[in-house]
Amino acid sequence: MSFLTLARSSIRQAFSPCLARGYAAKSSNPERIPNISTKDTSATEEKTLSSCPPGTILEGLNYLKGQPPVIALPDEEYPSWLWDLLKPKVYEDDGPGGKAEKKRLRKENQQRIKDQNFMKTQ
Amino acid sequence: MSKALKAKDQLVRILVPAGKAAPTPPVGPALGARGVKSMDFCKEFNARTAHIEPGVPTPTLITVEPDRTFSFITKTPPTTYLLKKTAGIEKGTGRPGHEVTGTISLKHAYEVAKIKAKDAHLKHLKLESIASTVIGTARSLGLQVVP
Repeated sequence: MSFLTLARSSIRQAFSPCLARGYAAKSSNPERIPNISTKDTSATEEKTLSSCPPGTILEGLNYLKGQPPVIALPDEEYPSWLWDLLKPKVYEDDGPGGKAEKKRLRKENQQRIKDQNFMKTQ
Repeated sequence: MSKALKAKDQLVRILVPAGKAAPTPPVGPALGARGVKSMDFCKEFNARTAHIEPGVPTPTLITVEPDRTFSFITKTPPTTYLLKKTAGIEKGTGRPGHEVTGTISLKHAYEVAKIKAKDAHLKHLKLESIASTVIGTARSLGLQVVP
């Protein structure tokens, strides 16, 4: 009996590494997400502006013979206006008859015409 | 029907693959109708586009004088061509705004704008304006522009 328990315990010990269940949380591998590059500075985490990490080859843009491939630069080397290009353009209000008002009225008129045209098709 | 208009230049706008001029269908009749020897044009065109990768469509503007002499200007490749190559798509969408064909980063748009800025008819514009034009073209192809 004691020999069997000894054998069982030794087998259990031999198998225990395989049977051990890992309850530790899996650490997420940052390399698995290729497009998001995060720089960890000592104080805070810097948010990158671009989804295109530096060093990406931009293909098709070297249309001259013998031109080396165009590579994406780090975000800081692009002009600051580049990151505002996708935001809707804001015109600061310069009073009645100003540029902002003209743009706004034009947009409203165009939208009204489009709505009327659409309602005519209904 | 090659009547040269009196005292007036004729303009011909044509898209020619760089380094590969002289096929009959596109270039030959367009120029021949205006009295230009297509072989002369093709030799000069190929010489001038020798620094460009062969096959890249190059918009050219040919001015034909009444005495049948010609001069031409070449421009940078079309924006849609550059965007399609960068995004890796063959054709734009038939329903822009509704269908998405691909994604492009602002960095791609910036580089395309840098190429287009070399054109003579764009050199008075800020690079910012050219870049927003490129983004508009990308949207009309169905490309999503992300930062």
